This record gives sequence, C-alpha cells and structure tokens, in this order.
Amino acid sequence: MIAPPPPPALLMTPDERRRWLLSLWRYAVPALLCALLAALMLAPLPLPVPAMPNLALMGVLAWAMLQPGLMPPWLGFVIGVLADLLSGVPLGVNATLFAVAAGSIRLVDAVLVDRDHRFDWLAVGLMVLACTLAAGPLMALAGRPVPVLPLLWQVLTSLIAWPLLLRACVAVQRHLARTAPRWSHG
Amino acid sequence: MLDWSQSQRRPTAIRREQNLALVSAVVSGAVVAGSLILLLVARVNPETGAGLRAVAADVVVPVWDVVRAPFDGAARLAGDAGDYFGAVSRADALAAELDTANARLRATRTAMRELAQLKRLLAVREPSRQVVVTTRIAAATAGSLVRSAMLAAGTRDGVTRDLPVIAADGLIGRTIEAGERSARVLLLTDVQSRVPVIVERTGQAGLAAGQGLPTLLLIDRVGADVPLLAGDRIVTSGDGGVFPPGIPVGVIIDPRGAQPLIRLAASPLGAGYVNVERAWLPIPDDAPKGPVFDAPVPVEARRRGAPPPRLRDAPPPPVATPVMPAPAPSPAPSPAPSPAQRAAQPPARPSP
Repeated sequence: MIAPPPPPALLMTPDERRRWLLSLWRYAVPALLCALLAALMLAPLPLPVPAMPNLALMGVLAWAMLQPGLMPPWLGFVIGVLADLLSGVPLGVNATLFAVAAGSIRLVDAVLVDRDHRFDWLAVGLMVLACTLAAGPLMALAGRPVPVLPLLWQVLTSLIAWPLLLRACVAVQRHLARTAPRWSHG
Repeated sequence: MLDWSQSQRRPTAIRREQNLALVSAVVSGAVVAGSLILLLVARVNPETGAGLRAVAADVVVPVWDVVRAPFDGAARLAGDAGDYFGAVSRADALAAELDTANARLRATRTAMRELAQLKRLLAVREPSRQVVVTTRIAAATAGSLVRSAMLAAGTRDGVTRDLPVIAADGLIGRTIEAGERSARVLLLTDVQSRVPVIVERTGQAGLAAGQGLPTLLLIDRVGADVPLLAGDRIVTSGDGGVFPPGIPVGVIIDPRGAQPLIRLAASPLGAGYVNVERAWLPIPDDAPKGPVFDAPVPVEARRRGAPPPRLRDAPPPPVATPVMPAPAPSPAPSPAPSPAQRAAQPPARPSP
C-alpha cells in the first residue's frame, strides 16, 4: 500500500491531519511517473528508424497492474493527451489508446487473477502491438493517414524494455510502501 | 428458530463496491468516447491544440536542451578518439580529394564569372538567404507516428512556422509549430513532408516525399525523360517559396521503379547544430485570422477544393480556390483576377 487509508477525518489529531496532507502526493506518483516517461520519449536518439520504446504506454500498463486504483482509465486518458501534445500527433490518438489499455488491464485482472511474469510480458507485448496497429485507423480518423509498419521497431524495443521498466516501477512502489506514513489508530 | 433464508438486501460494502464499479465503467466509456470526439475535432480543424502543444513543448524542450549536453560531450569524445585512430588514412584520402576539388574549382571560377556577367546583363534579382537563428535539435519524436524534431528556439528568437531548417550536410525539414522557447520541425522523413527538388544531373523536377522510413521517395517527376542513375544528387529547387534552391537533400540509391529511392544527405537527428533560415520567397498567408463565419470545413473537402472558412466581416470570396494538391505548396501565387473578371464571375456562395 503506497498510501494507506488515514483515520477518519473527524478523529484525526492536528498532527495526523498535517501528516495526511503532506502524504497526499503519493497518490499522484504513478501519474507523474508516466508523464515523466512521456517526456523521456522525446530523447533525440540518432537512429534512422522509430525505435524508441513506447515508454508512456508501458508505464500506464505497469501502474494499472501494480496499483489499479491509482491508474484508472481516465488517468490513462490524461496521460495520453499529454503524450499527444508532446509527440505532435493529433489530439486524441494516444488518449484513446491509453484509456483503452488501462481499462483492458482491469478486465484481464478480473478474469485472470493468478498469472506470472512471463504471461504479463506476453500480454503487454500484444497490447503494445495492438495499440501500434490501432493507431493507424485512429490517425486516419483524425484526417492524417500514416503507415504504421515502421513502428514495429518500436514494438520490438518495447518488448525488450518492459522488464526493466516494470522493475523500476516495482522499485518505486517498494520505496513508497517502505516510507508510507503509519497511523497509530491500528 | 433461526431464519436461514438469504437476506434480500446485499450487504452495504458489496453494494458500495458494485456501485463504484458501475460508475467507473461509465466514466471509462465516457472518456473513450470523449477521446474519439477529440479525434473528430482534430479532423475538422487540424490546428486543434496547437497552443497547448506549444506550451507543452516550451516546458519540456529547454529541459532536454540542458539534459542532452553531457551525452553530446561523450559522443564528441568518442568521435575524437575514432578520429585519432584513423587520422593517417583519412589525411591521404583528403589530400587526393583536395586535388580533384582544386581542379574542379579552377574550371568553376571561369563559369561563375561568366554566369555573373550574364546575370548582370539580364538584370536578374535574386532573393538572398538569411539565417534566423542557429540552434541544435534538442528533442525528437523517435517513437511516434509523426517524425518531428524540436528546437530550443521559438518566437522569442524569431522562429515562426514554415521556415527551412538546414544542417551543414543538407536539408533537415521545416518548422511547423513555434512556441515561445521551442519550435517543432517536420522532418523530411515524415509522411506529410513534400519537398520540391530537382535532380542535379538531369534537371528533372519532382517532389521528395517522406514515407516514415529512413529513405525518401522521388515522386511526380517531370522534365526530360533521362533515366536516373544511382548516386544522382538531389537538391532543392526553390519552388514553393520555403526552401532555398540548391540545398542537398540526398542521393538516389535505387533508380529502378517509378518512384526512385533517395538516401538523405543529412541525418536528421545526428546533426548537431542547424540553421533556421528565413523562408526563400514566402507566400502570403491567406489562412483566416479571427472568428470565422462559416462552419469549419473538413480537411478532405479542403483538399478537393472547397473554399476555406470565411471571416465574419470579410466580403464573400470572388472565386472558389482552384483545386491544388494540398501538401505541395504552390510555386507562385496566382495572379489576382482583374475587376472585370471579378464582376463577370458569380460569387461562389450566396451571401447570407
């Protein structure tokens, strides 16, 4: 639990209320990290092919798996809008994809409760591939048809980057859980 | 006697959870529908969110401009080390190249003097190239459907949209959006990019079209029917008014087929510093400024020749704009119709 529920508001002591207000930023950590990943995708790699992994989408997927309550589909929409603004595609392409991706992780969570890391890896790879292929019709809907096949490079590098990204997200979650405020009310 | 029948009401916690799940499903559906509506809005008006995009770039690009400095330094160190090891062989190669270049220069000097005389005789007036700002590529969308780069210079430095961006080796692209401290460059490799070019050896004119891959396509080739060769140099022709003529775009690597493949002269993202120059012969901007009277016109209709949205207080347009391929900028502004013509032609749409 990276932000355990506080005692009821009316029963809080002033000190507890202050600690609770100062710990509210923990709820925003997944969203802020995904926004940071979207900015990280702007790194000027000197590569001729679009090979930058889709970090923002994978960040949304990772946090939807780790903290479903802190990465609802509407937050995926917000991060997608940010990714749209930064990467210069028409507003709404990544917003649709990220919202659908976060929602589909919820569905997978409801159906397959007990799954292992390799299944997650495969599912994320398929989801990145599906998002890449679905981006073509969405761009056509926005009036700017583009070929999506060069982006298969991105799917490949995303597959490679997923374990590292998941490990980083898990490290962040562990750190947050370790430093979470404790409430004395038991 | 105990009552073992199921209670009719679900427990409060379960009800609360089910209601929350229902609300969140409704919200998720609304969000997805809203983003699809955003896409439709972007289809009707491609400029949607340009201001927001500029603000986001203004926040992120200066950070990248600072962050990438140590990586640039490391790359330069690695390059220096490589230079050190290959120095002797490269010096030999350069000496041989210098000999041939000197010979060609002697021949060129005479030709240039003759050309200057002829131009003086014909009183040719040529616009000059002018550098707006020299900067470096701070960020790029290397993992996006749109191939663009970002410069850490914006309207503060005089950068506006539709300016050519040129590196030492050749053309990079043109600016499409400018924020206060950042500008977005549409790279040559993007699908939307069309550059008017000529083949230097044969003089054929055409368009270098991006296809989202490292190579470009030479399309719409006109001129003498001379077969192309691999290695033919492609330079900008100066048509369209944005790019100055004579900037290297690339060389042909695959002349077979109807659309030869071009390899870029300058690698867009490896180029260190780039010049943003003034547009060669800027075409007057006829996009409506201010509140428009009509409903927005979809992109497809604009491409098929529908007139652009009219300003609220503008007079009705004299003629419908002619059909023109949208990505290729027109080589010269069409002459305005004379008053007699204007009177003879009926207005394109009835005035309200």
